[in-house]
Amino acid sequence: MAMSIAENEELALIRKLRVASFVEASTLLILLMIAVPLKHALGYAGATRIMGPVHGAAFIAYAWCVIVAVSGGGDWSRRELTRLILAAFIPFGGFANAGLLRRKEAAAQAGQQ
Amino acid sequence: MIDYLWLKAAHVAAVLIFIGGLFAQAIGVAAGARGGTETVSLVSRWDERVTLPAMLAVWLTGAFVAATGAWFPSHWLWAKLFFVVALSGIHGVQAGRLRRLRRSDEVKPSAFPFAVLVAIAASVAAIALLAVAKPF
Repeated sequence: MAMSIAENEELALIRKLRVASFVEASTLLILLMIAVPLKHALGYAGATRIMGPVHGAAFIAYAWCVIVAVSGGGDWSRRELTRLILAAFIPFGGFANAGLLRRKEAAAQAGQQ
Repeated sequence: MIDYLWLKAAHVAAVLIFIGGLFAQAIGVAAGARGGTETVSLVSRWDERVTLPAMLAVWLTGAFVAATGAWFPSHWLWAKLFFVVALSGIHGVQAGRLRRLRRSDEVKPSAFPFAVLVAIAASVAAIALLAVAKPF
């Protein structure tokens, strides 16, 4: 069955959010659990010099997706949007989004069928 | 040193592409809110394929330049970051408005479409001054 433009757009945004959310939380985990100990225990600062900017860019990508979800309308409740915004400022909040975004993706796909 | 210069060159290239896309996006949103559907389609395509990747490249290369050059303690960098965050925020809001226009949702035309363009131009000028003159 052909998807409407609106359904396509919604599904694409949810998928972008899922990826950005996972990458943001994962890069923070790598930064804190691997790069920072390497720097302080072994004096190897190269890992933080790489992972710091990578996590920074991942955070911006996630924040950008949330701004688009907030300003772009679509099937988002105020509560869901608040949760996405809060997750940006809580360490590993991206992992906490996984369930919500998985359910949203499943619902968006079911809505197309 | 060569790595630093290459990184900086990549950063400046990404900034130029991002800023050009941001102006095009602002004009596309203003035109779309007044019924220009073909403009919305063209600007949206450019935005997703070029401007958004350029914005991510700006942040990634910029962070590497700042880390490599040890610029993080400098005050001018944080002042510059304020404007870069603002421009990235404007891009996100306008991308949301383009999304609404593509869905054929009604988007109220801005009463002051010029104001967004002026805000972008002023931010870009401030970024250039801070990055080149490094006044503090």
